[in-house]
Amino acid sequence: MIKTRFRLLMISIIIISMLIVGFGGSAVLAKDKIVIGFARAFSGMLALTGDNAFTPMAEMWVDDVNAKGGIYVEEYGKRLPVELLKYDTKSDTGTMTRLLEKLIIEDKVDFVFPPVSTAHLYAAAPIANKYGYILMGMEGGAKRLQQYMDQLPYFFSTLNYSVHQVPVLVDILAEKGVEKAAVIYISDLHGIEYSETAVPLLKEKGIEVVFNKSINMGAKDLSSVIKEAMAADVDAFISFTYPDESILVTKQAIELGFNPDAFVVDVGANFEFYKNIFGAEQVEGIMSMGAWNTESTPKADEFAQKIIDRFGREKLDWWGQIIYYGALQFFEKAIEEAGTLDQKVVRDVMASQKFETVLGPTWFENGQLAEECYPGQIGQWQDGLYEVIGPKDKATAPVVFPKPVW
Amino acid sequence: MIVTILNVVIGGLLLGGIYAIISVGFSLQYGVARVLNIGHGEFIMLSAFLTWTLFTGFGINPLLALVISSSIVFILGFILHRTLYRSLKKKSATLGIFEGNSMLVSFGILFIIQNIVLLIWGSDIRGYSFLNFPVTIGGAKFAANRLLTLAFAIVLSFAFYFFLVHTRLGKAIRAAAQDPEAAGLMGVNINRVLALCFGLGAMMAGVAGALISMSYQITATMGLEYTVIAMIVVVLGGLGSILGSFIGGFILGLVGSLVSYFEPGLAIVAYYVIFMVLLLVKPTGIMGR
Repeated sequence: MIKTRFRLLMISIIIISMLIVGFGGSAVLAKDKIVIGFARAFSGMLALTGDNAFTPMAEMWVDDVNAKGGIYVEEYGKRLPVELLKYDTKSDTGTMTRLLEKLIIEDKVDFVFPPVSTAHLYAAAPIANKYGYILMGMEGGAKRLQQYMDQLPYFFSTLNYSVHQVPVLVDILAEKGVEKAAVIYISDLHGIEYSETAVPLLKEKGIEVVFNKSINMGAKDLSSVIKEAMAADVDAFISFTYPDESILVTKQAIELGFNPDAFVVDVGANFEFYKNIFGAEQVEGIMSMGAWNTESTPKADEFAQKIIDRFGREKLDWWGQIIYYGALQFFEKAIEEAGTLDQKVVRDVMASQKFETVLGPTWFENGQLAEECYPGQIGQWQDGLYEVIGPKDKATAPVVFPKPVW
Repeated sequence: MIVTILNVVIGGLLLGGIYAIISVGFSLQYGVARVLNIGHGEFIMLSAFLTWTLFTGFGINPLLALVISSSIVFILGFILHRTLYRSLKKKSATLGIFEGNSMLVSFGILFIIQNIVLLIWGSDIRGYSFLNFPVTIGGAKFAANRLLTLAFAIVLSFAFYFFLVHTRLGKAIRAAAQDPEAAGLMGVNINRVLALCFGLGAMMAGVAGALISMSYQITATMGLEYTVIAMIVVVLGGLGSILGSFIGGFILGLVGSLVSYFEPGLAIVAYYVIFMVLLLVKPTGIMGR
């Protein structure tokens, strides 16, 4: 008797649970939103970069899309609002890969957004590709990934990096008659690739590279390399570094009265906060990567104002923001064009079509944003504004050379 | 040649000065108050942000701002010990249990302070320029603000040494460090002395934070790297030895400067190599007993 009752109870539990799951399943069919998984470093070492780069652009884009009622998807015959499902990877690569898989397998999100940094992208791209999920790389880009692009049809790299920027920089320096240069670089994939690209190109142009030294992330004193460059009387000092070290090297160069004709500082010097720290007068003539400004494209001015209104002027990043936002607009238009949320169909649209974005006409070539789409490669602080100085056809101002004394 | 030697040696002392202040504070908190304060770096960070705000927002000279912000951090440390750590001590059966628990609590304090700062100041990188001109010593150039830091480290450390050796309260602190129970029986108000030590340790962090804000960029997440440096120095100098921490700070600075002269990328590697060698050769540290 007891056994029978127990059996009955078990059967009813199974039926009830099947009913619940069944109803749940049918609820999914009535699609009412697009969920985008966002496994990202919201805390830890990489959070600072992410918080100042793609994260605010993603949030702004979601609000902009939802203000219009969402993205129109023909398959459902209506606009679907977008929702971000955020997970904090705590800047850990292992955690990031796990959470990315969780988003795809368990949460079954419609799309995924990228993690922060070149190294994390390097780890995430094959995973997204394995599950046939589109992944647009934002902060980061690597020469070493280029060779795998054919095997990663679902990966789209947006940001420009060493191969785009360094040749333009070297041309500018050579044209201005630089004879001796000193290079320092941060000892990670980013710094290594930039220095690897720069040194042979400099030599090719007849510029002597006095030294090419690596420095640690979190270095606390860069006076030894600055003093060495001073002793060698270099014309150009190039620092391929991240914001912390970029600010430190600038601070110490000012403090030690080091005034080369060209002072080039990589990640960090392209941000508005860099100018705020030193003041417009002191950053005058400093070159950095990028680059865009309010005159770069017809919509750039309006776009910059939008960032200022929403986040404040100090959040402006004159390298990546316009590219991140342009890529998101491209993605939105690709979904509308595809008329479905099917990864394969959207991916094929992204790989083959051109759309108008804040960057102007935007398209991808072999998984990388086309060279023509970049608003500029090298920028320079002039009168408190970040001007594009190279390549020449994108320049918004002539190069200031030599850099004024601090 | 002389210029090179001056560059390396004085460069090392400049870096060592800041390490020494940080580590003396950390050592004081651990050696006397028995709190392995993982949140030490957060006090540095908090004071750096206070100094930055006072200078850029209110135009207060960073040196005056240093006094204000380190006082605020002192009060915060004192109150934290009087409330949190004191009640924790009461509830812990042995000193060993207290040390373990207080370390865990300090982890919590780390996250609380860091997140409060993130809420107030955000995640941006900040900085300002102060005394950012070169001073030439024997043909070698040094940044004025870093020389000021070294002067502060030396003066502050000597003043503190004088305080410990020649004042009644200093004696009470030393007694509490050696044997808190016996000191208590001899009429030392042990809870007050311990809270004072914790507060003074926090104040040292505050001074360091204000000085760091003059020479470095500051962010809400910068604290932990300084805590790690303090831990290396304190182990190097001998756990709980204040003089050891002072010397250890300068040794670390000098080694960093020397290695940077040859290969800047290896400076941090050198710190850990010294750390490992020392643990193998003399695990008690330079001044350890």
